[in-house]
Amino acid sequence: MSLPWQPSAVALARHIAAGECSAQEVVTAALDRIRTLDPAYHAFVECWPERALAEAAAVDRARAAGAPLGPLAGVPVAVKDNLVVAGERASAGSRMLESFRSPYTATAVARLQAAGAVLLGRTNMDEFGMGSTTETSAHGPTRNPHGQDLVPGGSSGGSAVAVAADFCPLALGSDTGGSVRQPAALCGVSGLKPTYGRVSRSGLIAYASSLDCVGAMARCAEDLAAWLDVSMGQDPRDPTSQPAPPPVLPRLAERRDLRGLRIGVPWEMNGPGLDDDVAARTREVAARAHDLGAEVVECSLPNVAHAVATYYLIATAEAASNLARYDGVRYGLRRDGHGRLDAMMTRSRSAGFGDEVQLRILLGTFASSYGYSEQMFDRATQVRHRLRADFQAAFATCDVLLSPTSPVPAFALGSQQDDPLTLYLCDALTVPASLAGLPALSMPWGTTADGRPVGVMWTAPPDREDLVLQIAHVLQQHSDHHLRRALA
Amino acid sequence: MPNPPSIDRALMQHLADLARLHIPAERLPPLRERLERIVAAFSALQADSGPTAPPAGEPTLRLRADVVEPPLSLDMVLANAPQQAAGAFVVPRVIDA
Repeated sequence: MSLPWQPSAVALARHIAAGECSAQEVVTAALDRIRTLDPAYHAFVECWPERALAEAAAVDRARAAGAPLGPLAGVPVAVKDNLVVAGERASAGSRMLESFRSPYTATAVARLQAAGAVLLGRTNMDEFGMGSTTETSAHGPTRNPHGQDLVPGGSSGGSAVAVAADFCPLALGSDTGGSVRQPAALCGVSGLKPTYGRVSRSGLIAYASSLDCVGAMARCAEDLAAWLDVSMGQDPRDPTSQPAPPPVLPRLAERRDLRGLRIGVPWEMNGPGLDDDVAARTREVAARAHDLGAEVVECSLPNVAHAVATYYLIATAEAASNLARYDGVRYGLRRDGHGRLDAMMTRSRSAGFGDEVQLRILLGTFASSYGYSEQMFDRATQVRHRLRADFQAAFATCDVLLSPTSPVPAFALGSQQDDPLTLYLCDALTVPASLAGLPALSMPWGTTADGRPVGVMWTAPPDREDLVLQIAHVLQQHSDHHLRRALA
Repeated sequence: MPNPPSIDRALMQHLADLARLHIPAERLPPLRERLERIVAAFSALQADSGPTAPPAGEPTLRLRADVVEPPLSLDMVLANAPQQAAGAFVVPRVIDA
């Protein structure tokens, strides 16, 4: 079945602007597809059909009146359940926030709306972003369109599935330690985590504030560039947000091949521990890049071996602090304390948070507590600085780095739930860029022998989203991995 | 390499108190075992005594203009409150009359 958003969101916006199809037809098709197919996959926690059709009608009216349209006018998008929209529920996949309705809209969402995009609904996620499979959601798991018994990755699993199942061409996610890139890889779509501070975090329900980034998933680099251009820039509501550089989309086609680029392959991220098929696909994309004119060299990031421990100590310590706000007083779930304030808070938190969130709060409390913080949190902060220095040294001789996105392809639902350490190690290749605040893009590149998607990741120096987007775009002009569809 | 910190029952209870979490007795042993395994796996960081690089790549904070902006209305602030009365959040009494 041909869908109106094939091959891309950018092309769809052009069609709508030219009057070749209406935004209402497009949104109706998206909602119908979700209604028919999503019960088997559970990408969406909630759809907003009335809102979506009203927003689409507004786009059509604007076009009929000859008013200027935004660059994504009429494009249906999905929003991760941790980005708030005024008047709508946002739960961050948690029972704690099951009844929360936001009084304001996240900046990243508002900028998409200003560009004309139409919000379809909110997508499933691991509770507060804490997970790599979307199985820790209080709403139940999401399933991978490439195999219903497979996890979609996480924590932005719902958004990855929304794109992979062709419910919409573009979906918002968030990436703290790989939560956009890893599910993109496991579901066979492209995902971008921008430089820390590139897109405002205002309205993103916090997990770990020094790591949290708003990101996006789409079929192709062109759509990710279009998303970044309308989303980036300084926001008075987020002091870590940075001024916008020149837009990327107009410059995407400037590069027709990869001549003049030096691609570094960190041996620590391309060695033992990788699934054989994942390693083979990564070698193949390196060979393709070489064929397109790039120089491919081995390089080293010596502190990558400590990245998972460093990430989990810092992220959980920040989470323990951020999640202290859920005390049953101002919003969120409340349990009766039988007249005692402390008992009310403790019972509310214990009933509202799931097992993985409680485990990570305890780990973060331990890592930052008196008597242990020097050995744990402070040491992790030092290693984080060293990891950043490793990247600086690598970028002194290389333009961009290449690795797999995930050491393993999608695995069976429920197969890893009893072993948190094994799951944490799934993040081994994505957390280094998170700790260093670097832009990184995952793109699909072939499959395993049994058909599970494989993702490869490009990591660039700070503020060089243009570089990873251009490289992905060139490769996608010379391949069709990104066009492989999971569902008819 | 120094031994990783041991997480005994008393430390678990201390952490739970700090985090305002109630852990039922039957959940305490498996949770303690999970936490101890994670901390043991991460203990390589303690042994790592490599040089500390100076901070690099820290984001520049850009503060907004120091002017008063319209806040959320009281109704909007209280809309998600589990319990409210007379324009305020209601909580159990803290100080006995």
